[in-house]
Amino acid sequence: MKYRKMFALMVCYSILFLICKVPSYGAIPAQQNVKVSGKVTDASDGSSLPGVNIVVKGTQIGTATNAKGQYELTVPSSADTLEFSYIGYETQTVPVKGRSHINIALKPKTVIGKEVAVVGYQTEKKADLTGAVSVVNTKTIKNSTYNNVMRSLQGHVAGVNILTDGTPGGGTMVNIRGLSTLGNNSPLYIIDGVPTTSGLSNLDPNDIQSIQVLKDASAASIYGARASNGVIIVTTKHPKNGETHVDVSSSITSEDYATKLHVLNTVQRGKVLWQAAINDGVNPSSLPIYSYKWHKNSNGNAVLDKVIVPTWVSKADGIKAANTNWYNQISQPGLIQNYNVSVSNGTKNGSVYFSLNYNKNRGIIKKTNYNKIVARLNSNYKFLDGKLKIGENLNLSKGRQTPVPSGAGGTPMWLALIVQPILPVHTINGGWAGPAGSGFDDRDNPVRLLDQNQWNKNNSIETMGNVYVKYNILPSLAFKSNFGAEYVNDFNRLIRQRYQSGFLTRNINSLSINENNNLNWDWHNTLQYKTSYKQNHFTFLGGMEMVYKRINYISTYTEKFAIQNNNYFYNDAGTGNRNNGGNDTGFQLFSFFGKVNYNYQNRYLVTGTIRRDGSSRFGSNNRYGIFPAVSVGWRASQTQFIRDNFPFISNLKLRAGWGQTGNQDIANSARFTLYAPNYGNDNTWGPGNGTAYAISGQETGTLPAGFERTQTGNPNLKWSTKTETNVGIDYGFFAQKLSGSIDYFRSNTNNILILPPYLGVIGDGGNQWVNGASVSNHGLEFKVEYQNHIAGLKYDITGTLSGSRDKITKLPKSVFNAYPGNSVKHILGHPMESYFGYVVQGIFQNKQEVQNSATQPGKGVGRLRYKDLNGDGVINSLDQKYIGVNSPKFSYGLNADFSYKHFDLSLFLQGVQGISVYNPKKMYTDFTSIWNGTNYGTRTLNAWTPTHRNTYIPALSLADNNDEARMSTYYIENGSYLKLRSAEIGYTLPKRIQKMVGMRNLRVYVRGENLLTFKDNKGPNAFTGPDPANPNNAYPRPRQISVGFDVKF
Amino acid sequence: MKRFNLLIIIGGLLVITLASCKSNFLNYQPKGVVSSSQLNTPKRADQLVTAAYASLGNDHWTVPFEDMWPYGDVRSDDAYKGGGGTSDQGGYNDMELFSFMRPDQPKFDSIWFRLYVGISRADEALRKLKTLNSKDFPQKTEREAEMHFIRGHYYFLLKILFKHIPFFTADTPIDSLHTISNVQYTSQQLWGKIANEFQIAVNNLPDNQQDVGRPTKYAAEAYLAKVKLYQAYVQDKANNVVSINKSDLQQVVKLTSDVINSGKYGLLNNFGGDFMFKNDNTKFSVWAVQRSINDGTPNGRVDMGNALNYPMNPSYGCCWFHIPSQNLVNAFKTNKNGLPEFSTYNNSSIKDSVDFQNQTVDPRLDYTVGIPTHPWKDDPNFVYEKSWARTPDVYGYYSSMKEAQLPSCSCLKKVGPFYADSKNTVIIRYADVLLWKAEALIQLGRQNEALPLINKVREQAKNSKGSLKYSNGKPISDYHIETYKPGVNCTWTKDYALKALHWEDRLEFAMEGKRFFNLVRWGIADSVMNNYFNTEKARHQFLSNGHFQKNKDEYLPIPQNQINFSHGLYKQNYGWK
Repeated sequence: MKYRKMFALMVCYSILFLICKVPSYGAIPAQQNVKVSGKVTDASDGSSLPGVNIVVKGTQIGTATNAKGQYELTVPSSADTLEFSYIGYETQTVPVKGRSHINIALKPKTVIGKEVAVVGYQTEKKADLTGAVSVVNTKTIKNSTYNNVMRSLQGHVAGVNILTDGTPGGGTMVNIRGLSTLGNNSPLYIIDGVPTTSGLSNLDPNDIQSIQVLKDASAASIYGARASNGVIIVTTKHPKNGETHVDVSSSITSEDYATKLHVLNTVQRGKVLWQAAINDGVNPSSLPIYSYKWHKNSNGNAVLDKVIVPTWVSKADGIKAANTNWYNQISQPGLIQNYNVSVSNGTKNGSVYFSLNYNKNRGIIKKTNYNKIVARLNSNYKFLDGKLKIGENLNLSKGRQTPVPSGAGGTPMWLALIVQPILPVHTINGGWAGPAGSGFDDRDNPVRLLDQNQWNKNNSIETMGNVYVKYNILPSLAFKSNFGAEYVNDFNRLIRQRYQSGFLTRNINSLSINENNNLNWDWHNTLQYKTSYKQNHFTFLGGMEMVYKRINYISTYTEKFAIQNNNYFYNDAGTGNRNNGGNDTGFQLFSFFGKVNYNYQNRYLVTGTIRRDGSSRFGSNNRYGIFPAVSVGWRASQTQFIRDNFPFISNLKLRAGWGQTGNQDIANSARFTLYAPNYGNDNTWGPGNGTAYAISGQETGTLPAGFERTQTGNPNLKWSTKTETNVGIDYGFFAQKLSGSIDYFRSNTNNILILPPYLGVIGDGGNQWVNGASVSNHGLEFKVEYQNHIAGLKYDITGTLSGSRDKITKLPKSVFNAYPGNSVKHILGHPMESYFGYVVQGIFQNKQEVQNSATQPGKGVGRLRYKDLNGDGVINSLDQKYIGVNSPKFSYGLNADFSYKHFDLSLFLQGVQGISVYNPKKMYTDFTSIWNGTNYGTRTLNAWTPTHRNTYIPALSLADNNDEARMSTYYIENGSYLKLRSAEIGYTLPKRIQKMVGMRNLRVYVRGENLLTFKDNKGPNAFTGPDPANPNNAYPRPRQISVGFDVKF
Repeated sequence: MKRFNLLIIIGGLLVITLASCKSNFLNYQPKGVVSSSQLNTPKRADQLVTAAYASLGNDHWTVPFEDMWPYGDVRSDDAYKGGGGTSDQGGYNDMELFSFMRPDQPKFDSIWFRLYVGISRADEALRKLKTLNSKDFPQKTEREAEMHFIRGHYYFLLKILFKHIPFFTADTPIDSLHTISNVQYTSQQLWGKIANEFQIAVNNLPDNQQDVGRPTKYAAEAYLAKVKLYQAYVQDKANNVVSINKSDLQQVVKLTSDVINSGKYGLLNNFGGDFMFKNDNTKFSVWAVQRSINDGTPNGRVDMGNALNYPMNPSYGCCWFHIPSQNLVNAFKTNKNGLPEFSTYNNSSIKDSVDFQNQTVDPRLDYTVGIPTHPWKDDPNFVYEKSWARTPDVYGYYSSMKEAQLPSCSCLKKVGPFYADSKNTVIIRYADVLLWKAEALIQLGRQNEALPLINKVREQAKNSKGSLKYSNGKPISDYHIETYKPGVNCTWTKDYALKALHWEDRLEFAMEGKRFFNLVRWGIADSVMNNYFNTEKARHQFLSNGHFQKNKDEYLPIPQNQINFSHGLYKQNYGWK
């Protein structure tokens, strides 16, 4: 009976559950339930707050306020506690204490929480920062299919410009706030206090706790002589007390080559050549390879009847005529696999974090794969009630990449454009086909290049880590010592196999090995002292740092391997010529630094830093440099006036900073006058400087050799100094629903280190580094974020916009010609990345136009017309000007995250505007006249003819008599673009189900990268290259689709 | 607790200690290099001499200053640039057509620089030699003389390329070189200065050298004769030849006679032998740049200056530059007397196989030009085919043969995609000496004395027919060449002799990088080149913009970079802007 009753009750409940969709908590025994209701208001203005989350603490029971800010909730027990949370407001917990009506006023978060930022030898509260520091939202890097952190930051941080290509595992260029020096503009990377030269490519993105970018000189100045390009500080994970879990994540990505250029097929190529010959008045029968059937029509115009493709390109070589699309031959669908496991354990007495990551990338160019394994072990131990902390971070990584080969004519991607379609991949006997006979250029079969390259590997093993001890001598006085080191071993093996490919051959195979051993260590010690007097708070930091770096290089070269087998290509097996090389170089830095933070009433903030660096790169005359900085901040939102009158302002901070940073980026031994016994160097592509000579007429064997002067020393060399002023505003409105920052900066870099070309009569070794140039730069950065939620839909939209323009303000006259310009116009006053050339004014349409135009050697109907800029009636080198800049006027990113119940969606758009790119591929896609034995783009089918005048592409010709290969606006294209960089949809398993299977969290997602590109498609400056974000001859950026999961236990 | 405080104190002390030895820490010495003071010994100074010689072999296809093919041939009526189209090494295309030449063309700057690199190495050696005495280093004077010879060689090249160049000696400190203008000396004074370098060499060099790479006294005399010959043709500032200096010519006669009478040199039996690796450093070669292979350097110290010039036959494979012009091929025609067709040679073209059977030619043609169906490098089994040409639709089918070696040669080396060989680059051939003497004599009105010299050269050509045969024994072309026989086949006046000399010079040295400089020396560059363009552009469309501007194009412009680097101290050449 009892059981039957219970059964009936259960059935009733079940029906009730199904019909009424009673939430799970509805099933809890009723007699204890207490109904609570009330209203939530904004404590600052009393307005009602809709959408506030209310949860019974420790349960999943909860609700949200309605449009009027009212709520009603049944709690299991009157002894429970309610938690009220709302974006931008401080969370409040209220014990029910038997009440049935609870009204709450939530206080807006007037400070940006307790977030901290690592800003150089110490951490500071974000709210107290006075310099331009961006704290990166590490969420944005989490699921990127690229295993290099910097790659996924593109467009996410205002003022950080990142250029990438698609090379599996490589190819990233980063600059902060545009260009400020001639030469290297890469920032300084600091990982857990250790400076690194390898960027962040050896790091597993999952291991990163935080990334902060020190953008302006007042923030970066504490890093002194290495900081003028900005500093990127990365901290890896240390679990907090009580965090004990295991994370497993994995993803799989498919890729495709979406940016292939359109090239001619075999018959089309024959057709355009015929047209070129007709245009030139050359008999098409003189054209190599093809023959034609054609006639003249009644108007005397030539008409092509048929392109006759021969059966054989070369019967003797077994090369049959084909119709090959080389882009298809070199590419494959890509596949990336990514696996990650981490274990964290945080206790009161310390913590341990261990992770393993494996990434494998097949590449979209055949046989260019990459794989990487990264292991990390971070641990720390606390003693003496937490006063003493000893810890270490250790990162081991091993990467292996098959590099993209380069042969006669360039990389496979370039060769796919220029190798003729008539060539097959293989001969009829299975050998390699290649150019044979006249009419072909000496361009390698790109498939052979890739195939014979597959055993070549670039191996990199990196060990990086640090040990530190932190001792709080007094509650206010802390000592920290940190020793870090990085050791990188790059081992590259390059096999050149024998081959025959048409008239291109190699009879002797060889093995080259290059090994770089790169060691750097850094030891720094700091003392930090905090004190307060009434409302005055001070933090003092003092420290010293030693940096040591060595690069040791060894190369070997061996010829003649009897067997062409990967396992046989080792030096011992070679029987032919041998050659080797090697050197060793490095530098040391020794520095002192100090920093003072002053804070009055949490409203007025002043920071001053100073650093003195000594570098082995500079001579005794100017060995030391001093880099000061000062910045101030006013937290207006902390004032009573703002609190009283403008309660919607949740945060308002005005910042201003001034500082100096340095750059020591010159050769390690630049200050010495040196002679080198240069026995002989590789002179394939440029003249060598060897000193060996067969003076007695000997044909082979070791030669007598001497010395050459290689450089002229400069004992007066010193740092280049960048002085930068930054003003900024951090703002937050409506309880931080809307927040962001605005920064304006202006910088001047003086005494830039340059290696200018010199007067020819000085001859050998006239190279001398000097402090010679100045560059100014200024720019604006905006960041705005809006987060809110409507009826359960949470969204967070972040936009960044930044722009900067550099200008060369000083340059020795003798250096002018190292930059684009002519005898009267020079780069001074122009951005560094300026293009210089002729201005194309369209195509000469008729004889009249040709006759009436300026004297232009080679002009003619159908040819490009150049503008007579100086109006002297002659087109010559004086008719050139600056025709574009290869850096964007501004770049922007827009990230939108949405979540609704268990689903989340994020979209990321990124773009640049106001950039010109030089597209040298146009010489092949548009012209038959510039290179004769290659293939051309399908754009040539749209070339000018007397009957087809509405085109930007000049008439086809066999010879470039009008010098149309010259640098002109014809090759300068609008590089602006807007890309849908990524879109991701995720689903998180409901907590209930997670608990059932014993997980803490499980999320699965689908992600697309590089999905859509909008670019300039019209007009003479339309972008015609493969990818405006990757305009040059680089590895294409693939389109990617991934699926993945992330589970926490 | 105490222990930790102690640790901190020790740590602090360590920091202070380190801070005090920081200057030690910052001490860095570069590795694998030496300083100037380490070179002050006879052995090291001698090594600097070797390094100066080595610069001779550091020429390259981007700056072929020993082979000189772009500057001496492509600029002349002898050769087209060739390669993969007009833009392939486009700077040379600009030089070929003249119309697009401009002072900031980077090729001019590179060759200027590389030539002064050579001078700087000789000067470096001279400065060290000066600090030694003859007791410690018995070869001191001789080595100094060699370095003057090397200086002279580079200055000569600079002079014929750029006309107005900064001249200085090794005594000029490096940091005052920027004060030396290119117009400090007149053109004639510069010739005098260059002649003086060779005079020092003549005065101090031995008759014989154990090391064949070092110039002998006779090599110096021969080079001095060449300088004097150029010096004799006096130009005004607009490059017009305004007078011919008799005393310079007499010196040419004296110097060349010395060389000829030394008995050390002679012509080989076969003209083609001069262009064969196996004959390196034999009697025809007065002074040559020494090349080597398998010598421990990455590519061997091979002739990289000509590395673009092998044709596209699979045994080679790249890059078909330096292509003989149709005009040049036509110039090898001979008339029924076996003499050149001075005025009618270019009225029609010989180019198809059959043409060379129907028209008599000078046998030197088949040692100079690769012609479809003709055996290559007198190997009857290695026949040149049309397929060896890379861009026939632009440049036709010929190839340049003199600088090429057979695929079987142990001297041949594949360097990247290119081919190069270790055959020496002969700067002065014995035939040069003979024809310089002949030229001087003719200009002195002593043409009868010149006749046997010219005929000697023709005699060799005549005797060189033997190896020009197909495998079936048939001669490749219909050869017919005779010596000049006054009263029999010609009237040997001064004018006729000069014409004959010019012609001989062209045929004998065709494709050896000399033609354009001869035309400028003779003062006929303008007429020859514009005549050439007028006829040749109908044969090859790419030449349609070719035009030689008199009083300007005789010389390259002073590189714009150098004018800038000198802050305007250097003055641009006449006619250039």
